[in-house]
Amino acid sequence: MELFHEFNILSVFVRLVLAMTAGGILGYGRSKKNRAAGLRTYMLISMAACLTVLLGCYDFEMLKTGWAEIAAELGMKFDASRYASQVITGIGFLGAGTILSAEHQQVSGLTTAIGLFASAITGLAAGMGLYTTVLVVLLLLIFSIEVMYPVEKRLKRRMRQFTVYVEYENPRNLAEIIDFVKEKNATIFDVDIERTKKDDEHWPGAIIVLRLAKESTSHSEMMTSIAELSCVHAVKELVS
Amino acid sequence: MLHIFDTLRDVSTASIVFRLVLSWILGAMIGLERSYKNRPAGLRTHVLVALAATLASITGHYLYLGMKVTSDLTRIGAQVIAGMGFIGAGTIIKTKQNTIKGLTTAAGLWATGVVGLAIGSGFYEGGIIAAALILFIETGFSGLAARITVAPEISVRIVYEDKAVFDNLIRMTKDLDVTIVNLQITHLPDNKCAAILRLRGNSIINNEEFLDLFRDVDGILSAEYMDTKRG
Repeated sequence: MELFHEFNILSVFVRLVLAMTAGGILGYGRSKKNRAAGLRTYMLISMAACLTVLLGCYDFEMLKTGWAEIAAELGMKFDASRYASQVITGIGFLGAGTILSAEHQQVSGLTTAIGLFASAITGLAAGMGLYTTVLVVLLLLIFSIEVMYPVEKRLKRRMRQFTVYVEYENPRNLAEIIDFVKEKNATIFDVDIERTKKDDEHWPGAIIVLRLAKESTSHSEMMTSIAELSCVHAVKELVS
Repeated sequence: MLHIFDTLRDVSTASIVFRLVLSWILGAMIGLERSYKNRPAGLRTHVLVALAATLASITGHYLYLGMKVTSDLTRIGAQVIAGMGFIGAGTIIKTKQNTIKGLTTAAGLWATGVVGLAIGSGFYEGGIIAAALILFIETGFSGLAARITVAPEISVRIVYEDKAVFDNLIRMTKDLDVTIVNLQITHLPDNKCAAILRLRGNSIINNEEFLDLFRDVDGILSAEYMDTKRG
């Protein structure tokens, strides 16, 4: 096993393939969900991140062997982690490009950005030869993505507090809608008016953050009853 | 490391030419594959990225090893990694459906840049292995990525007359273990209503028979898929 912890062509190959596989495992679930960053993106980023670490190791090896004379003459002004450290900045930027702000104050692409970041860092660890760490991190990441995420989604759907976007006939209808929601024993936390006048495509609309009374059962029921008001044109739940 | 490259580890005219040519070849191989698939960044882009990264790395090494200036031989090359992240972010496009395109292209360019750095530093083994792995990923996994994709969510538009339809509908979706994640109701003339339901669930939502289940619910006049591209 010593062989894999030294810097040689075999360990270089093994680490690159390990990083690629780790990226593939992380990306598999995302590909399945048809997200922007899938299998290939994760594999490429993780593998290239791994190469940056190996590159630092290579320069250090060379300064000890082939370039030792110059290093002795000039002094070792060298930082083996410099390449790897830039991966963190670089992939941060790349991730920022995936974040979109959608309509009605919603944001998407955050999980994609963080996922890419995580796979890059896993690649760095693989490049250092931290084989056990990579395995543990992979297990934890898979647990978070595959197990915790659905649990979170389920919890969110059952939570009494949620946000709806409502479109209505006339700006004056908003008071009527708010009264109706209150009649249903729901508490209103925030009302954010998006449009006050009708334009070519949209009716006036508002974002309402509300909390259901205990006995109420589901978000859908609340939404359908809001839609029953004759002044309401559209109801939409906003899920972050 | 392999000894056949030993004479090309120092920065000399021969090794500079060798590095640039090698990085041209690797960049062209990765780029050709992309060109062949008709992607936005093809042969020319990849070759330029690989060459530029190689040159950055050679410059950093030459300062220290050739000119014998006290410097960090990795600093110039390292900034390429951050810089390529910037450029990559610029290739990402937002579509009208509020999804993004071009992320794999960005990742591929970024990886090609790192390969260029490795070649420029004289780390030929790493650069060649990584370039081969990039080609392997691009050719071997593009089909797989498309095959494993299942649309996890689907939009169905229904037209109905009676509000009571929702009680039946909520019961039906519960039985199938499909959840309504979004609901948009629009009033139509003639006392009719249209609702766009965003549904999440198992593979059942991708079958045409799934719509028949809707049509069987009392009070629903019609049901159709909203998404043009499915499963």
